[in-house]
Amino acid sequence: MPDPLASLTLALAIILFLTVIFWPTFGLINQWKRHQRTSIRVLTEDALKHLYKAEVEGRGATLQSIAGTLQIGIERTTSLLAYMQRGGLVTWEEGRPQLTSVGRHYALHIIRAHRLWEYQLADQTGYGKTEWHALAEHREHELTRDDVSELSVKLGHPRYDPHGDPIPPASGHLQTHGGKPLMTLAVNQTGHIIHIEDEPETVFAQLVAEELSPGMDVRVLDKTRERIVFWADGDEHILAPMLAANISVVPLPNADRSKFFNTEHLSDLKPGEQARILRLSHFCHGAERRRLLDLGLTKGTVVEAELASAGGDTMAYRIRGALIALRSEQARLIHITRLRAADAP
Amino acid sequence: MMKADGNLLATEASCKSCPLYHAAHMKKLGVDMEDWDYVVALAGNPNTGKSTVFNALTGLHQHTGNWPGKTIARAEGGYAYANKRYKVVDLPGTYSLLAASVDEEIARDFVLFGQPTVTVVVVDATRLQHNLNLVLQVLEITDRVVVCLNLIDEAIRHGLRMDHRRLARDLGVPVVPTVARSGVGLAELSRAIHEVATGKIICHPYRVQSEPPELKQAIKTLTEKIEKALPDLPNARWIALRLLDGDERIATALRKGELGDLRRSTVGETDSPRPADEPTEKALVEEILASAQSRRSTIGYNVHERYVEAIYTDAARLADRAVTLADEKPRFDVDRAIDRLVTSRIWGFPLMIGLFAFIFWLTISGANIPSAWLSALFIDTICPMLREGAAAVGLPWWLRGLLIDGMYLTVAWVVSVMLPPMAIFFPLFTLLEDFGYLPRVAFNLDNIFKKAGAHGKQALSMMMCFGCNAAGIIATRIIDSPRERLIAIITNNFALCNGRWPTQIILATLFIGGLFPSPLAGLISSAVVVGVTILGVLLTFAVSWFLSRTLLKGEVSTFSLELPPYRPPRFWQTIYTSMIDRTIFVLWRAVVFALPAGAVIWLVANVHIGNVSLAQYLIGFLDPFGILLGMNGIIILAFIIAIPANEIVIPTVLMLIVLVTGAGDVGAGAGVLFEPESESTLKPLLASGGWTLLTAISVMIFSLVHNPCSTTIYTIYKETGSVKWTAIASLLPLVLGIVLTFFVAQLWRLLAELG
Ligand SMILES: Nc1nc2c(ncn2[C@@H]2O[C@H](COP(=O)(O)OP(=O)(O)O)[C@@H](O)[C@H]2O)c(=O)[nH]1
Ligand SMILES: [Mg+2]
Repeated sequence: MPDPLASLTLALAIILFLTVIFWPTFGLINQWKRHQRTSIRVLTEDALKHLYKAEVEGRGATLQSIAGTLQIGIERTTSLLAYMQRGGLVTWEEGRPQLTSVGRHYALHIIRAHRLWEYQLADQTGYGKTEWHALAEHREHELTRDDVSELSVKLGHPRYDPHGDPIPPASGHLQTHGGKPLMTLAVNQTGHIIHIEDEPETVFAQLVAEELSPGMDVRVLDKTRERIVFWADGDEHILAPMLAANISVVPLPNADRSKFFNTEHLSDLKPGEQARILRLSHFCHGAERRRLLDLGLTKGTVVEAELASAGGDTMAYRIRGALIALRSEQARLIHITRLRAADAP
Repeated sequence: MMKADGNLLATEASCKSCPLYHAAHMKKLGVDMEDWDYVVALAGNPNTGKSTVFNALTGLHQHTGNWPGKTIARAEGGYAYANKRYKVVDLPGTYSLLAASVDEEIARDFVLFGQPTVTVVVVDATRLQHNLNLVLQVLEITDRVVVCLNLIDEAIRHGLRMDHRRLARDLGVPVVPTVARSGVGLAELSRAIHEVATGKIICHPYRVQSEPPELKQAIKTLTEKIEKALPDLPNARWIALRLLDGDERIATALRKGELGDLRRSTVGETDSPRPADEPTEKALVEEILASAQSRRSTIGYNVHERYVEAIYTDAARLADRAVTLADEKPRFDVDRAIDRLVTSRIWGFPLMIGLFAFIFWLTISGANIPSAWLSALFIDTICPMLREGAAAVGLPWWLRGLLIDGMYLTVAWVVSVMLPPMAIFFPLFTLLEDFGYLPRVAFNLDNIFKKAGAHGKQALSMMMCFGCNAAGIIATRIIDSPRERLIAIITNNFALCNGRWPTQIILATLFIGGLFPSPLAGLISSAVVVGVTILGVLLTFAVSWFLSRTLLKGEVSTFSLELPPYRPPRFWQTIYTSMIDRTIFVLWRAVVFALPAGAVIWLVANVHIGNVSLAQYLIGFLDPFGILLGMNGIIILAFIIAIPANEIVIPTVLMLIVLVTGAGDVGAGAGVLFEPESESTLKPLLASGGWTLLTAISVMIFSLVHNPCSTTIYTIYKETGSVKWTAIASLLPLVLGIVLTFFVAQLWRLLAELG
């Protein structure tokens, strides 16, 4: 029988070795794979996307801006652009790279693939909002034109991605969302969020943590140099201008002010308390939203919190006679007005 | 035969006088459904009694249970009524047909494209408002609907008074009150189905009215367009709605002409789809689609939401008209009190563990005696008779060995060891299930599953795995996020299944319970089994956590689970059906797999290479590896032979010990699976094979954590459709088991050396 101490040591060493190589996130194999992904084609496509967006926004791309976006050196960028020029995707004009019409068409396809994929993630999967971009960033390079058309059909030809960016048609032009920054609204003015920029990732993650989402109606309460205070769909938010800059709105000059007030959430109810549903937050989207509606959580429904789970955090509500368990993150997205015992039907 | 006929006549005679005479027109046909005249689809919310209605109509034993998501695949059966043959299809339960999940799509597609002559919507009378959502949707799709207002007994128990006539008038279709579980009202139901199918009753189904004006207008214009282009469609309005909601499945169906099947004229006929091949029709369809698309951009994209709101508004009004509360004064609500207790912060978990421990204890202490009887019968009595008989007939020795000593004895062992615990465990478990306790367990465990990055409904599929892992894999279909479903599939194997309960129970009794004096022994053994079960659950959490942070990274999706109302189970009925459905079914499977395994064992022990048998050769080869894991070559070989059926691990081990140690006088010869008469001979025999306490513990751990059985692996492949995930689900537990037993064994030996 082998010596236990020796075999234990050996086994630990083997496990450590295998972990370093195979671990799904930081393992060597995975890192190598990730490196492979930044192949010349992927770089080309990312550069095209950057050039196209710069063109649409009218700010023109430079060698430096491309290198910065792709996170590669100037030298590599130069040779990449030379490669793209040979392929007929870009030309040089006035010392700046410009897209050819072939390049523009190609870029449009990549953007379309990206946004459709984000839509599909938002509409049909459980991936978190902050994960969509990275997943789509990867996937856009794998979808062929046929795949993309098929996807569009399957999704019912959506026109906007979940951040509010228009999804370009198979051929045509990229449109912008056309909103203006939230900061441009004056105090007491109302507006409608139509777009939330998903880059940079850290900024977007904070906006997601605030549970902000396109589709919400906002009313500005206070605005200073350091911060903006506003109501969005019944919740008060305080944001630094740096964060607020990523939110675009269209003003709603004639909005009914009485619709804007601070509301409670279903998750605020304690067992035995009743409330009437005002709305589902726009933060709740896609399949999840449809499911809650199908379970009867529609506007005007009276619900009662009935049971708290022994494990905590999950609560069962009496909804139209049925007892339905929801997690607190879900219940948070349902806005309510409380009913006193006397108002209850 | 005579007796059955007599009974039938007697029933018929006594029925002639009663108003339910038409019951005698009915004949259950089971799965015999050749040349049916009509097709009946059973739709409904989960847990409303669809499967119970299905079983009552067809005489089949589709699984029923008081939890949502019990029926996952669709089941078919048949019955005859008034000389017409009906095929019945039990659809998965859904809250809606707006196709948000796979289940809904299956149900919707069947109602829409499967051409059922009649769709029966089974409705829970105690939750009428909630259930009417689906009814109103079905009424939009098809005219030929019968509403089965089930669970009337429960409605009465809760003090509700149902006015089904008023509901029928409001809905424009027949409404039949039933108590499916005791068969009340089923005769009326089949008559209503018959009358709708044969056109005796023409339905005038209710249409949703509360849509907001702009949506209503859009639907109206589009409906008119569709009606003009395709005058045959009975559900133009619904199609208009789906097109406005951007449902591409419906658009495609319209293009291909698949919806033409629903023409009113085709009652009962099954003609093939009529492609929209005439150019004019094609052009018209394209025009409709274009018009829907353009309208979509003007009325906005939340059609689904506004439509659901409208349905529920109507549902609330209709339900209010049909239901009255019989006695207004609030009574002591037992159901609520039980719910408070089983989900309470303090008592919730102890109660859960206590309840399961109690069930195991009953199983362990109750199974011993019948096990001994069965083995006395099969092994001590029948086996020698078979041997003598075979010798008398003059079968050659190798065929005798193969048939009797190999196959028969393996099966006999499996039956005598597995049948008694299963016959106790399954009915108890089924009672819990019927009562409605299991969803509460899922509800309590949800937070832990969430923290592990998994889905709360995984608790339900885990419960199924405690019976059979393959069944548990299928049950993961109730999890609608693919990521979390894969997590549930990969971790399924950590829930001990039937095949492994006996191994755990026997080893815990012999090696651990045996260390204590007799009154304590039984308790300690069941505590050990509960401990192993909890270890499995903890591993489920740990592995789920690991997967959700690495291979299956992603955010936890949400969770909505209906907690069904408690329904007092019908004790004897439940016990009877669970014996028939589950115990016999699982046993049958075990026997089917044990048969060839028995033959293999016999062959391995009797085929010689040179002077050593193949078995000895393999054992020698596997020994060093086995010893590293605290076991030995025999045990590893037994686990390999038992891949088709976990239940034969211990019998195989015993047989191989006899073969290698030459303790031949205990058993009956090479390759014979024998049953030592009592536990007292079992332990010395294992000890002669080198078994120690460490061996027993290692085998218990390895039996909990190793590759799933071949049926489960095949089921995983069928469900995931992916070789990669099947491989991961099979190998991950195996590797984990090897690592676990290795560390346990080495640490054990290290401590033994030190102390
Ligand atoms: N009390 C009562 N229980 C019923 C009745 N019909 C079904 N059940 C029970 O309700 C539970 C769910 O039934 P099942 O047929 O599995 O529902 P399904 O999910 O719709 O197929 C089971 O425990 C049945 O025994 C009924 O009429 N009365
Ligand atoms: Mg069912």
